[in-house]
Amino acid sequence: MAQSTSTSQIFGHWEAVTAVPTTTMSLDAAQLSAHWRRNSLSSDYWAAYAALHIPETVPAGWLRRDDVSYVLSYLLNELFENCAKFSAGPELAVHFQAWLLDERMVFQLTNHIKPQGERPFITLIEELLNGDPDELYFQKLEANAEQDLGGSGLGYLTLIKDYGIQFGFRFQRASGESTAVTVQAHVNLREPS
Amino acid sequence: MSVETISGEEYSVTYNDNTQSIKFDGSMRLRTSEEYAPINDLLLKAHDATPAESLLTLDFSSLKFLNSSGINIVSRFVIAARKQAHLQLKVIGNQDIYWQQKSLTNLQRLWTAVQIDIQ
Repeated sequence: MAQSTSTSQIFGHWEAVTAVPTTTMSLDAAQLSAHWRRNSLSSDYWAAYAALHIPETVPAGWLRRDDVSYVLSYLLNELFENCAKFSAGPELAVHFQAWLLDERMVFQLTNHIKPQGERPFITLIEELLNGDPDELYFQKLEANAEQDLGGSGLGYLTLIKDYGIQFGFRFQRASGESTAVTVQAHVNLREPS
Repeated sequence: MSVETISGEEYSVTYNDNTQSIKFDGSMRLRTSEEYAPINDLLLKAHDATPAESLLTLDFSSLKFLNSSGINIVSRFVIAARKQAHLQLKVIGNQDIYWQQKSLTNLQRLWTAVQIDIQ
Protein backbone atom coordinates (compact mmCIF):
# COMPACT_ATOMS: atom_id res chain seq x y z
CA MET A 1 0.00 0.00 0.00
CA ALA A 2 2.72 2.50 0.92
CA GLN A 3 4.95 4.03 -1.72
CA SER A 4 8.10 5.60 -0.44
CA THR A 5 11.06 7.56 -1.67
CA SER A 6 14.03 8.78 0.33
CA THR A 7 12.09 11.85 1.38
CA SER A 8 8.43 10.90 1.46
CA GLN A 9 5.99 8.12 2.22
CA ILE A 10 2.60 7.99 0.55
CA PHE A 11 -0.52 6.05 1.53
CA GLY A 12 -3.96 5.63 0.02
CA HIS A 13 -5.41 7.54 -2.90
CA TRP A 14 -2.72 10.10 -3.67
CA GLU A 15 -2.61 12.27 -6.76
CA ALA A 16 0.13 14.69 -7.72
CA VAL A 17 -2.22 17.45 -8.81
CA THR A 18 -0.44 19.58 -11.38
CA ALA A 19 -3.12 22.24 -11.88
CA VAL A 20 -2.72 25.51 -10.06
CA PRO A 21 -4.88 25.34 -6.92
CA THR A 22 -8.15 27.26 -7.08
CA THR A 23 -7.54 28.54 -3.57
CA THR A 24 -4.83 28.42 -0.94
CA MET A 25 -4.55 29.64 2.62
CA SER A 26 -1.91 29.43 5.36
CA LEU A 27 -2.72 29.30 9.04
CA ASP A 28 -1.05 28.60 12.35
CA ALA A 29 -2.03 25.44 14.22
CA ALA A 30 -1.49 27.12 17.60
CA GLN A 31 -4.00 29.81 16.63
CA LEU A 32 -6.53 27.20 15.50
CA SER A 33 -6.13 25.46 18.83
CA ALA A 34 -6.21 28.65 20.94
CA HIS A 35 -9.51 29.71 19.38
CA TRP A 36 -11.30 26.48 18.57
CA ARG A 37 -14.08 28.18 16.60
CA ARG A 38 -11.51 29.18 14.00
CA ASN A 39 -11.75 25.58 12.77
CA SER A 40 -15.46 25.77 12.08
CA LEU A 41 -15.24 29.34 10.76
CA SER A 42 -12.52 28.34 8.28
CA SER A 43 -14.32 25.18 7.21
CA ASP A 44 -17.73 26.83 6.80
CA TYR A 45 -16.18 29.69 4.84
CA TRP A 46 -14.31 27.46 2.38
CA ALA A 47 -17.26 25.07 2.13
CA ALA A 48 -19.58 27.90 1.12
CA TYR A 49 -16.91 29.32 -1.20
CA ALA A 50 -16.29 25.99 -2.95
CA ALA A 51 -19.98 25.09 -3.16
CA LEU A 52 -20.61 28.07 -5.45
CA HIS A 53 -18.70 26.01 -8.01
CA ILE A 54 -21.85 23.85 -8.26
CA PRO A 55 -24.56 25.15 -10.60
CA GLU A 56 -27.85 26.18 -9.04
CA THR A 57 -29.56 23.21 -10.64
CA VAL A 58 -27.86 19.89 -11.22
CA PRO A 59 -28.89 16.74 -13.13
CA ALA A 60 -30.18 13.72 -11.17
CA GLY A 61 -27.39 11.78 -9.52
CA TRP A 62 -25.26 14.85 -8.81
CA LEU A 63 -24.90 16.49 -5.43
CA ARG A 64 -26.84 19.71 -4.99
CA ARG A 65 -25.01 22.88 -4.00
CA ASP A 66 -26.38 22.82 -0.44
CA ASP A 67 -25.42 19.17 -0.02
CA VAL A 68 -21.88 19.85 -1.23
CA SER A 69 -21.66 22.71 1.24
CA TYR A 70 -22.66 20.38 4.13
CA VAL A 71 -20.23 17.66 3.05
CA LEU A 72 -17.36 20.13 2.75
CA SER A 73 -18.13 21.80 6.07
CA TYR A 74 -17.95 18.43 7.82
CA LEU A 75 -14.86 17.33 5.89
CA LEU A 76 -12.87 20.53 6.32
CA ASN A 77 -13.86 20.94 9.95
CA GLU A 78 -12.57 17.44 10.72
CA LEU A 79 -9.31 18.20 8.88
CA PHE A 80 -8.79 21.62 10.49
CA GLU A 81 -9.62 20.16 13.93
CA ASN A 82 -7.00 17.45 13.35
CA CYS A 83 -4.40 20.11 12.49
CA ALA A 84 -5.32 22.02 15.67
CA LYS A 85 -5.24 18.90 17.84
CA PHE A 86 -2.26 16.98 16.54
CA SER A 87 0.26 19.53 15.25
CA ALA A 88 3.46 19.36 17.27
CA GLY A 89 7.12 20.27 17.09
CA PRO A 90 8.85 23.48 16.01
CA GLU A 91 6.86 24.02 12.81
CA LEU A 92 3.17 24.85 13.28
CA ALA A 93 2.21 26.17 9.85
CA VAL A 94 -0.94 24.73 8.28
CA HIS A 95 -1.40 24.97 4.52
CA PHE A 96 -4.76 24.60 2.83
CA GLN A 97 -5.17 24.06 -0.90
CA ALA A 98 -8.25 23.29 -2.98
CA TRP A 99 -8.83 22.31 -6.58
CA LEU A 100 -12.37 22.71 -7.87
CA LEU A 101 -12.59 20.51 -10.96
CA ASP A 102 -15.41 19.47 -13.29
CA GLU A 103 -16.62 16.32 -11.58
CA ARG A 104 -14.73 16.41 -8.32
CA MET A 105 -12.95 18.56 -5.81
CA VAL A 106 -9.60 17.90 -4.18
CA PHE A 107 -8.63 19.41 -0.84
CA GLN A 108 -5.22 19.24 0.72
CA LEU A 109 -4.19 20.17 4.24
CA THR A 110 -0.59 20.08 5.41
CA ASN A 111 0.44 20.29 9.04
CA HIS A 112 3.51 19.23 10.99
CA ILE A 113 4.15 16.66 13.67
CA LYS A 114 7.19 15.39 15.52
CA PRO A 115 8.92 12.47 13.72
CA GLN A 116 8.07 10.13 16.60
CA GLY A 117 4.39 10.81 15.90
CA GLU A 118 4.67 9.28 12.41
CA ARG A 119 4.44 5.62 13.40
CA PRO A 120 1.18 5.72 15.42
CA PHE A 121 -0.48 7.83 12.73
CA ILE A 122 0.67 5.50 9.94
CA THR A 123 -0.67 2.51 11.91
CA LEU A 124 -4.07 4.22 12.14
CA ILE A 125 -4.01 5.19 8.45
CA GLU A 126 -3.23 1.62 7.38
CA GLU A 127 -6.07 0.34 9.53
CA LEU A 128 -8.49 2.86 7.97
CA LEU A 129 -7.36 2.25 4.41
CA ASN A 130 -7.11 -1.54 4.54
CA GLY A 131 -10.18 -2.39 6.61
CA ASP A 132 -13.86 -2.41 5.71
CA PRO A 133 -14.97 1.14 6.64
CA ASP A 134 -18.49 0.08 7.58
CA GLU A 135 -17.32 -2.70 9.87
CA LEU A 136 -14.54 -0.57 11.38
CA TYR A 137 -16.91 2.32 12.07
CA PHE A 138 -19.27 0.23 14.18
CA GLN A 139 -16.42 -1.68 15.85
CA LYS A 140 -14.83 1.59 16.94
CA LEU A 141 -18.10 3.00 18.24
CA GLU A 142 -18.71 -0.13 20.32
CA ALA A 143 -15.12 0.00 21.62
CA ASN A 144 -15.46 3.73 22.39
CA ALA A 145 -18.64 3.00 24.37
CA GLU A 146 -16.58 0.82 26.72
CA GLN A 147 -13.65 3.18 26.96
CA ASP A 148 -13.11 6.55 25.30
CA LEU A 149 -10.23 6.00 22.91
CA GLY A 150 -10.12 9.49 21.36
CA GLY A 151 -8.39 10.13 18.03
CA SER A 152 -9.60 6.80 16.72
CA GLY A 153 -10.22 7.92 13.16
CA LEU A 154 -13.99 8.13 13.52
CA GLY A 155 -14.06 11.37 11.52
CA TYR A 156 -12.23 9.76 8.59
CA LEU A 157 -14.45 6.69 8.74
CA THR A 158 -17.65 8.77 8.60
CA LEU A 159 -16.26 10.61 5.58
CA ILE A 160 -15.26 7.42 3.78
CA LYS A 161 -18.36 5.43 4.69
CA ASP A 162 -21.17 8.02 4.51
CA TYR A 163 -19.79 10.43 1.89
CA GLY A 164 -17.57 8.22 -0.27
CA ILE A 165 -14.56 10.51 0.18
CA GLN A 166 -11.19 9.00 -0.69
CA PHE A 167 -8.08 9.94 1.25
CA GLY A 168 -4.39 10.05 0.52
CA PHE A 169 -1.63 10.79 3.02
CA ARG A 170 1.93 11.97 2.49
CA PHE A 171 4.64 12.13 5.13
CA GLN A 172 7.71 14.24 4.36
CA ARG A 173 10.55 14.60 6.82
CA ALA A 174 11.15 18.35 6.93
CA SER A 175 13.96 18.26 9.48
CA GLY A 176 15.19 16.07 12.32
CA GLU A 177 12.43 17.52 14.49
CA SER A 178 9.56 17.98 12.11
CA THR A 179 7.54 15.91 9.63
CA ALA A 180 5.09 17.50 7.22
CA VAL A 181 1.87 15.48 6.94
CA THR A 182 -0.39 16.22 4.00
CA VAL A 183 -3.90 14.82 3.85
CA GLN A 184 -5.56 14.80 0.45
CA ALA A 185 -9.34 14.42 0.25
CA HIS A 186 -11.08 13.55 -3.02
CA VAL A 187 -14.72 14.56 -3.15
CA ASN A 188 -16.78 13.11 -5.99
CA LEU A 189 -19.57 15.47 -7.00
CA ARG A 190 -21.88 12.60 -7.92
CA GLU A 191 -24.15 11.14 -5.23
CA PRO A 192 -22.41 8.21 -3.51
CA SER A 193 -24.21 5.00 -4.54
CA MET B 1 -42.61 20.16 34.21
CA SER B 2 -39.06 21.36 33.86
CA VAL B 3 -36.86 22.45 31.01
CA GLU B 4 -33.09 22.33 31.23
CA THR B 5 -30.80 23.92 28.64
CA ILE B 6 -27.08 23.70 28.05
CA SER B 7 -25.82 26.29 25.62
CA GLY B 8 -22.58 27.44 24.06
CA GLU B 9 -21.71 30.15 21.58
CA GLU B 10 -23.16 28.31 18.61
CA TYR B 11 -25.41 25.59 20.00
CA SER B 12 -27.98 24.68 22.59
CA VAL B 13 -29.30 21.40 23.93
CA THR B 14 -32.67 21.47 25.69
CA TYR B 15 -34.24 18.71 27.72
CA ASN B 16 -37.96 18.98 28.33
CA ASP B 17 -39.12 16.35 30.80
CA ASN B 18 -42.77 16.97 29.98
CA THR B 19 -42.41 16.03 26.32
CA GLN B 20 -39.59 13.58 27.12
CA SER B 21 -37.47 15.11 24.44
CA ILE B 22 -34.02 16.55 23.92
CA LYS B 23 -33.65 19.15 21.21
CA PHE B 24 -30.33 20.08 19.62
CA ASP B 25 -29.91 23.45 17.91
CA GLY B 26 -27.18 25.26 16.00
CA SER B 27 -23.70 23.99 15.27
CA MET B 28 -22.08 21.71 17.85
CA ARG B 29 -18.38 21.09 17.29
CA LEU B 30 -16.69 20.85 20.67
CA ARG B 31 -13.07 19.82 21.02
CA THR B 32 -13.09 16.72 23.22
CA SER B 33 -15.36 14.26 24.96
CA GLU B 34 -14.56 16.17 28.18
CA GLU B 35 -16.14 19.26 26.64
CA TYR B 36 -19.13 17.15 25.66
CA ALA B 37 -19.49 15.80 29.24
CA PRO B 38 -22.32 18.19 30.28
CA ILE B 39 -24.32 17.10 27.22
CA ASN B 40 -23.59 13.46 27.94
CA ASP B 41 -24.77 14.00 31.53
CA LEU B 42 -28.00 15.63 30.31
CA LEU B 43 -28.66 12.67 28.00
CA LEU B 44 -28.14 10.22 30.86
CA LYS B 45 -30.33 12.30 33.17
CA ALA B 46 -33.13 12.27 30.59
CA HIS B 47 -32.69 8.55 30.16
CA ASP B 48 -33.03 7.87 33.88
CA ALA B 49 -36.00 10.22 34.25
CA THR B 50 -37.95 8.54 31.43
CA PRO B 51 -40.43 5.96 32.73
CA ALA B 52 -39.73 2.33 31.81
CA GLU B 53 -40.82 1.33 28.29
CA SER B 54 -41.64 4.96 27.56
CA LEU B 55 -40.36 7.00 24.60
CA LEU B 56 -37.46 9.47 24.71
CA THR B 57 -37.01 11.64 21.61
CA LEU B 58 -33.73 13.08 20.37
CA ASP B 59 -34.55 15.90 17.98
CA PHE B 60 -31.65 16.88 15.68
CA SER B 61 -33.79 18.67 13.09
CA SER B 62 -32.33 22.10 13.92
CA LEU B 63 -28.75 20.94 14.34
CA LYS B 64 -26.83 22.14 11.32
CA PHE B 65 -23.48 20.61 12.19
CA LEU B 66 -22.12 17.96 14.52
CA ASN B 67 -18.45 16.94 14.46
CA SER B 68 -17.15 13.40 14.83
CA SER B 69 -16.57 13.89 18.58
CA GLY B 70 -20.27 14.77 18.87
CA ILE B 71 -21.31 11.77 16.77
CA ASN B 72 -19.25 9.65 19.15
CA ILE B 73 -21.11 11.05 22.20
CA VAL B 74 -24.55 10.46 20.69
CA SER B 75 -23.53 6.96 19.55
CA ARG B 76 -22.24 6.11 23.02
CA PHE B 77 -25.58 7.17 24.45
CA VAL B 78 -27.50 4.96 22.02
CA ILE B 79 -25.28 1.99 22.91
CA ALA B 80 -25.77 2.67 26.64
CA ALA B 81 -29.56 2.85 26.16
CA ARG B 82 -29.49 -0.40 24.19
CA LYS B 83 -27.57 -2.13 26.97
CA GLN B 84 -29.95 -0.91 29.67
CA ALA B 85 -33.07 -1.66 27.58
CA HIS B 86 -35.04 0.67 29.85
CA LEU B 87 -36.78 2.87 27.28
CA GLN B 88 -37.63 3.37 23.63
CA LEU B 89 -35.65 5.84 21.59
CA LYS B 90 -36.78 8.00 18.71
CA VAL B 91 -34.49 10.16 16.57
CA ILE B 92 -35.84 13.05 14.52
CA GLY B 93 -33.80 14.38 11.60
CA ASN B 94 -34.12 16.93 8.85
CA GLN B 95 -34.06 15.86 5.19
CA ASP B 96 -32.58 19.22 4.16
CA ILE B 97 -29.50 18.81 6.33
CA TYR B 98 -27.30 16.48 4.34
CA TRP B 99 -25.31 14.91 7.19
CA GLN B 100 -28.54 13.90 8.88
CA GLN B 101 -29.88 11.95 5.93
CA LYS B 102 -26.46 10.29 5.53
CA SER B 103 -25.40 9.62 9.10
CA LEU B 104 -28.40 9.51 11.47
CA THR B 105 -29.41 6.04 10.28
CA ASN B 106 -26.10 4.78 11.67
CA LEU B 107 -27.74 5.07 15.11
CA GLN B 108 -30.25 2.41 14.06
CA ARG B 109 -27.36 0.13 13.13
CA LEU B 110 -26.14 0.48 16.73
CA TRP B 111 -29.56 -0.42 18.12
CA THR B 112 -32.17 -1.75 15.70
CA ALA B 113 -35.02 -0.68 18.02
CA VAL B 114 -34.23 3.03 17.47
CA GLN B 115 -36.99 4.73 15.49
CA ILE B 116 -35.63 7.14 12.89
CA ASP B 117 -37.85 9.85 11.48
CA ILE B 118 -36.18 12.05 8.85
CA GLN B 119 -38.73 14.76 8.09
